[in-house]
Amino acid sequence: MDYIIQFHEITKRFGHVVALDKVSLEVKKGEFLSLLGPSGCGKTTLLRTCAGLEQPTKGQVLLEGQDITHMPAYKRPVNMVFQRWALFPHKTVAENIAFGLTIKKTPRPDIIRQVRAMLELVKLEGYENRFPKQLSGGQSQRVALARALVMQPKVLLLDEPLGSLDLKLRQEMQIELINIHKRLGTTFIYVTHDQEEALTMSDRVVVMNHGHIVQIGPPAQIYQKPNSVFAAQFIGQTILFQGQVSAKNGESCQVATDELIITCPTGSDLHIGQDVFVSVRPERVRLNDTPLVDLENRLEGSIVNTIFKGPAVYYQIEAPGGRIITVQQHLEQDIPLYEAGSNVFVGWSSKNSQILLQ
Amino acid sequence: MVTSQTDRPSILSPWLRVGPLTIMMVIFFVAPIGIFFVYSFWTKEGWDIVRQWTFENYIYVLTSPVYTKLIFRSLGVGLRIAILSVIIVYPLAYTMVFKFEKYRDLILFLLAISLFSNYLVRIYAWRAILSSNGLVNWLLMSAGLADGPQPYLLYSQWGVILILLNVYLPFATLPIYSALLNLDRDVIAAAADLGASPLRVFAEVTLPLTMPGVIVSFVFIFLLTSGDFVTPVFVGGKEGMMIGNAVAEQFGALANWPLGSAMVFSTVILIGLLLGLIFLVYRIVRNVINRKRYDLYR
Repeated sequence: MDYIIQFHEITKRFGHVVALDKVSLEVKKGEFLSLLGPSGCGKTTLLRTCAGLEQPTKGQVLLEGQDITHMPAYKRPVNMVFQRWALFPHKTVAENIAFGLTIKKTPRPDIIRQVRAMLELVKLEGYENRFPKQLSGGQSQRVALARALVMQPKVLLLDEPLGSLDLKLRQEMQIELINIHKRLGTTFIYVTHDQEEALTMSDRVVVMNHGHIVQIGPPAQIYQKPNSVFAAQFIGQTILFQGQVSAKNGESCQVATDELIITCPTGSDLHIGQDVFVSVRPERVRLNDTPLVDLENRLEGSIVNTIFKGPAVYYQIEAPGGRIITVQQHLEQDIPLYEAGSNVFVGWSSKNSQILLQ
Repeated sequence: MVTSQTDRPSILSPWLRVGPLTIMMVIFFVAPIGIFFVYSFWTKEGWDIVRQWTFENYIYVLTSPVYTKLIFRSLGVGLRIAILSVIIVYPLAYTMVFKFEKYRDLILFLLAISLFSNYLVRIYAWRAILSSNGLVNWLLMSAGLADGPQPYLLYSQWGVILILLNVYLPFATLPIYSALLNLDRDVIAAAADLGASPLRVFAEVTLPLTMPGVIVSFVFIFLLTSGDFVTPVFVGGKEGMMIGNAVAEQFGALANWPLGSAMVFSTVILIGLLLGLIFLVYRIVRNVINRKRYDLYR
C-alpha cells in the first residue's frame, strides 16, 4: 500500500494539556480521509502537525516515507484550507490565488493561466479583482480552496472549511468538494466535527476523542459497526442499553438490562456476567399497534412526542421503567402518525442489536 | 463575513451620545482656535490690537529666516523622532505579540510606568545623564572614546530628540501593538503554508496589514513632538530651539498674539503639507509594489 502521510506515535502537549496521545495513522495516496471528533479531540492539532504549523512534542510525520517532522511549514508540499479561510485581506482574489506561485517565482504567464484555471474550477470567474471583504462566505471558501489547490499539493488539508456556511450552501459545497477530489485525485485530509459531513464525503473516517483515535474505517462500517459507545453515540443516533451478559448459546446471547432482556449476535470473547452496552440504531426498530411477535426484542411503551421530519418521523417513546427512547420510522407512504399518548409496540431483530464493550 | 450584532433599543440617541464630547470640543478647542485664527489676520500696534484684516503676519513669518528655520527645524525634529520611534517600537511590539505572549501585560505595564514620573523630573534626569560631567560623558571618557565632554549631547537637537523619543515611546507602542494583536494568526499561517519564508511573510502580509497602526503611531508622534516647547527650553540650547518656543515667547513676554497666532497657523499649514507629501509618496510606493494586479482578461 502506498501511504502518502504516516503519523507515527504523535504526541502533542500544550503545557499540561495533552492534545494528542501517541496517535498513529496512515493516509493512503489519493483518498479522502476525514478526522471526525468533538471539539478539543485533537483533530485540528493533528492536521496542523501535518502542515508544519504545529510541532509534535514526540513522534514523526512522514511524507511519502520521508521524515518531515522538523521541516518548516513553508517548505512542505502540502497546503491547507483554514477554518475561517484566512484570505489575505489586502490582496485581490487573483492575488490570493497567485500568492504561492509568486513565492515560487513561477513565470507570470503560467501564473495567469493557472489562476484562471483555478477560478474556473471553483466557479469564480469574474471575481478575480474583488477583495475578500467583497465576497460571501461561500465565495471566500472557494478562494481559499483555489489558493491551496493551485499549489498542486501532495496532500490538501482542510480544517472545517464549511463550518461557518449555512446548511444548504454546506451541502452544495460538500458535493462540489467530492467532485473536485475525484477530478484532481489529490489526497484530502478533512477535519470536521459534523458526522454527517464525514459520512457524506469520506473514503475513510477517523473517529477521534480525547487525543486518541477511537475507530478508523469506511463510513458504512463506522456507522454500522461502531466499536465503542463513543463512536455509536457520536456518529448517528443510537438507543443505548447497559447490562450484563446473562446467557450465551452459539449464535446469540442475551443481555439483561434494567428494561428488558435483549437478544444479540454473540462475540466469541464474551462471558456470562460481563458488563456490556447494547446499541440499536433508531431506524432499525419497527413500530406497531400490536405486539411484533416475529422479532426477538420487544418492548411496549407510550408515545411522548411525535417529531415530523419530512422523509421520516421520530417518536419519543416512554418505555417501562420511565426511560425515553427515540425511534425513527421511514414514511414510505402517507400513513397516519401516532399521536402522543398512544400505546405502541416496539421491536427489532437480534442482528440489529450491537454489543459494545466500552 | 458574518458578524453577530445585538440590536438593543438605544436609550440615548446617537446625537446625545456624541453630544458631550462635541460640546466640549467646540467650547475648548474649536472656539479658541477659531479666535486665534481671526487674531492671526490682525496686527498689534503698541499695546493695542488693530482689527484690520491683513496677511502681514503670515508674510512676516514665512519670509523671516529665523522663523522659517525654526518651523522647518521643528518639523525635522518631529519627523526624525517619529521615524526613530516607529523603527524602535515595531520590533518591540512584534516581539510582545508573537514571542513573549506571557509577558505582554508586564511589558505594557513597564512602558506605562515611565508615564508615572513627572515629565520635568525626567528632563532633569536626562540632563544629569547627558551633561558635561554626566554619566554618558564619564563613560565615554573612562572608556577612552572621548578626550573631553562631548558638546553634542546636551543643548542640541539630538538631545531634544533623545528625550522626546524617550517620553513618547509608550504612546508610539500602543497603535502598532494593537494592530499586531488584531492580526489574524491564520492569515500569517496561511502565508507560511503557501511557501513564504518568515521574511516573505513579514514583507507580504504582516507589515502591509499592520501599516495602519504604523501610520497612526507615526502621525501621532510627529504631531506631538514637533509642537513641543518644554524640552527645548531645558536641553535644546540655541541649536535645539523650536517653533513652540518662539510661539510661547510671542504669547508670553512679547504679548504679540497676532504674530504668535500666525506662527501657529503657518506651522499647522506646513505640517499639513508635509504629511500630505509623505502620504502621497507612501501611496505611490504602495501602488508601485501593488502594480502587479492580475488582470486576467486583459
